[in-house]
Amino acid sequence: MDLIFLVILLGVGYFVGSYLEKKHYQDIKKRERQTLHVPVVTFGAKQAIPHGNEAALFLGSVVVSADYFKMFASSLRNLVGGRVVVYESVLDRGRREAILRMKEQAISWGATQVVNVRLETSTVGSQSGGKGLAAIEVTAYGTGIR
Amino acid sequence: MVYKPKEIPEGVNVTSVHPLVNFAYLLGTVVVFSGLVYLGLGAIATQLATRISPELEAKIGRELISDIPHLDRESNSPKQQYLEELLTSLQKSNVNSYTPLTIYVQKSKISNAAILPGGHIIITTTLLEEAESENELAFVIAHELGHHIARDHLKGLGRSLVLLTVASVLGVGGGNANIVGITGSLTNLHYSRQQESTADLYALSAIVDYYGHGDASLDFFNRIQTKNKDKRGEFSAYFSTHPLTQKRINYLHQFAKKKGWKMKGEIKSLPNNIFD
Amino acid sequence: MASKYSDQANSRFGEIIITTLEGVPGKEIIEHFGLVQGSTIRAKHVGRDIMAGLKNLVGGELKGYTELLQEARKEAVERMLQQANFVGANAVVNVRFATSSVAQGAAELFAYGTAVKVQ
Repeated sequence: MDLIFLVILLGVGYFVGSYLEKKHYQDIKKRERQTLHVPVVTFGAKQAIPHGNEAALFLGSVVVSADYFKMFASSLRNLVGGRVVVYESVLDRGRREAILRMKEQAISWGATQVVNVRLETSTVGSQSGGKGLAAIEVTAYGTGIR
Repeated sequence: MVYKPKEIPEGVNVTSVHPLVNFAYLLGTVVVFSGLVYLGLGAIATQLATRISPELEAKIGRELISDIPHLDRESNSPKQQYLEELLTSLQKSNVNSYTPLTIYVQKSKISNAAILPGGHIIITTTLLEEAESENELAFVIAHELGHHIARDHLKGLGRSLVLLTVASVLGVGGGNANIVGITGSLTNLHYSRQQESTADLYALSAIVDYYGHGDASLDFFNRIQTKNKDKRGEFSAYFSTHPLTQKRINYLHQFAKKKGWKMKGEIKSLPNNIFD
Repeated sequence: MASKYSDQANSRFGEIIITTLEGVPGKEIIEHFGLVQGSTIRAKHVGRDIMAGLKNLVGGELKGYTELLQEARKEAVERMLQQANFVGANAVVNVRFATSSVAQGAAELFAYGTAVKVQ
């Protein structure tokens, strides 16, 4: 009985999870293309400061977590060790989303570039009592220049 | 310095493995590995069961016996004295136990008997009440002795024996109740038909040695056998831990005939003071 | 100039210069391509957990874990370089590393920087 329940949860997690992931990736790609013209770089202060009138801080953040299937696969991976493939896409999506949110804010403000960008990842708490993937916050921040 | 916008292709930070393939690999590895551990533990347990030293067995036994509830072992009660005397006289004829034996009475509504590592024999109050003669009680005790000498009780612990041994050697007490819990309750040790049969033969020979005949010793078995026929599905506890068949009883009779053991003789009754 | 960074030792992109500075000393940045990043998530296996647990009794370096994280960081760098290679960069400047624990027993190793072309 428990096994059937587990399989259903895994199935729902897998199919819904991968559908949502696909949608999210399509969305990310579209937005990345739209915002590609604005450079995002990690250098800033020591380079000759680019020409501009104003500068402001922009921050994009997103909290991500994984579906049941991914959690289950990663708990198995925890026994075997090695590369946790299922989480790579979760963090990749999260990071790109955070950068995009920062960039979109900067663009709507009128930035021509975002410099001195830093990325942070932090665990903000975990679901289902410490097991599985914790909720992860990805933050991207930098200085927009216009 | 000019900015050259360029799109970075996908699949750099995400390994291109199908999630289900990856999942199958993981599941396979875990299942195979657990299977190996299970088999390995089984093999070690079998080795341990035959090679464990009496001292270590006694140590394990002490820890196990402290986990058994409702044990009554008042050394001066007539019941206890009687049982100890019976045990000693049964041993006299077969002095080959490798550890000192102790006998306990457990207050319980089920009729059962068991032997734990370290020579701890447990008999339930219900079994005592149901017994009609000393001969049949002696047979039950001798049967458990048979398991003890064949080290079946150690083999019956199975894989938890390995964990118990490790725990005892490291001196980590207390958690043993949990370890036993993994493989089920202690009194639910399972013996194979072969082990039962050997213990039966041992018991019968001990009884014949002591009383000079095997009469009434199989009464207990017969009673359980008929009881189980009456109430189908509701097996007695003794039956579930000591699988009993008519075949076994018949085999014992045949064996006695072959050996020329008398199966008729004077039946010794139980003293009254054990039913307090 | 051949790179000296140890994680690049057997890299397919050994020619790409990595610095934590805003540029490459003695060279001028002529083009830049924006952010490049590499990340990998690794889990340690049960055996290593047990060994590390024993080692914890006496303290000191957990060799198994050090190696595991080094190997993972190498992969993160490799992936970042792969991205840099895609956009046609010959250096990645202002590189930063970040390590975070994303799940019980699993850690993400992350490297990012700006892909540039220097002369």
